[in-house]
Amino acid sequence: MLVSHVMLVLGTFPVLKQDEIVKVCLEKMSHYRLGIACIVDDSGLLLGIFTDGDLRRKLLNAQKPIASFFVDDVLDHGTHNPLRIKDSDSLASSVELMELHHVWDLPVVDSSSKLVGLLHLHPAVKALLQSHTA
Amino acid sequence: MVSRTLVVGYGNVTPVTIGKGLPLVFIGGPCAIESRDHAFFMAERISKICSRLGIPWIYKACYDKDCRSAPDSFHGLGVDHGLRILSDVRDEFGVPVVSDFSDPAWAPATGDVCDMVQVPAYLCRQTSILKAAASTNRPIHLKKGQFMSPWNMKNSVRKIEAAGNHQILLADRGTFFGYNMLVNDFTSLPIMARTGYPVSFDATHSIQLPTSMGNISGGQREFIPNLVRAAAACGIQALFMETHNDPINAMSDSNTVLDLKYLEYVLTHAKAIHEARLNLIAELGEDSVHLEEK
Repeated sequence: MLVSHVMLVLGTFPVLKQDEIVKVCLEKMSHYRLGIACIVDDSGLLLGIFTDGDLRRKLLNAQKPIASFFVDDVLDHGTHNPLRIKDSDSLASSVELMELHHVWDLPVVDSSSKLVGLLHLHPAVKALLQSHTA
Repeated sequence: MVSRTLVVGYGNVTPVTIGKGLPLVFIGGPCAIESRDHAFFMAERISKICSRLGIPWIYKACYDKDCRSAPDSFHGLGVDHGLRILSDVRDEFGVPVVSDFSDPAWAPATGDVCDMVQVPAYLCRQTSILKAAASTNRPIHLKKGQFMSPWNMKNSVRKIEAAGNHQILLADRGTFFGYNMLVNDFTSLPIMARTGYPVSFDATHSIQLPTSMGNISGGQREFIPNLVRAAAACGIQALFMETHNDPINAMSDSNTVLDLKYLEYVLTHAKAIHEARLNLIAELGEDSVHLEEK
């Protein structure tokens, strides 16, 4: 089974442009109930991610007014050049990669590094379980 | 982050470049254009001082003071008359000029004459004003409102950028501290600089006590040198000060303008500290203390 079969497609998870601010990012993450947002440039190339973990670490380390934090570019606080997988990768190896890196989500790109989806652990596990019981 | 450099000056004036690592630029003049003779007198005197000190400068004077406290305060000579005088100052002294404008309808005429247009602090988040400023295609001196946090000025910057203009100089002119009182939080300068645009410090409005005198503003101009030295040490690319040869009888901001007789003294301090800071950076590198945590 391939990643493309179970990944969340564009429009169903948080995606932000590089100059969008943290406040907008947090709203989108809450809207989609996901702990990760992908950050892309104008052409859709994946530039970074911002996660609940980034938020926790920033709150502890930055020690600046929340109002100031909200208006920062989200990319300033995210992870640049994050780990990513291809839509043509196998689902099983991608879930193993998640375990290896202790993450629940992986951005999915196509052959030209454009963001095309997000692999989330729950649907991935569900699909793998179903394939084993089928 | 890209550091932007502004070039202020078109046509027959000597352009002034404002940016990181460059000589400190002085933006100054009388608060208001009081008359042709006075505007010329001030330009000549300031020009001589800046020439002596080797400081690039931009002449500032306004044709309409729309934020006066009282209805009978001097309002200015008006758009047409005022801009004619500014145009003549440009031609006579070869110096770029800047004026603020308080009505979007005045922006085209202001941009036609002035090398730089200024957005008043009280209007710094008004979309119509910001769009009008952007549409002049001139560099914009954008004052931080006394009620604004430095990080929220990014919203105003974004409005200007969205309108197609990427030539902005961000100014700190003090922040309200309760009523009728301003304070300077110098962290505003590096915070606003994170937009990538150069920053300026408006010393003579920073010592203002807004509308503290009933129907006019007061000021504590004895602190101008202290604040200028602090700002130059903190890191600015331009210094803004209004100055007048007869402050008590100045027709606008009489309690805050710097007496012309002190201008050379203050600019000498500013230039020396600015150059010392640049030398330190050249020797030791840019500030990067604990930035990795932010």
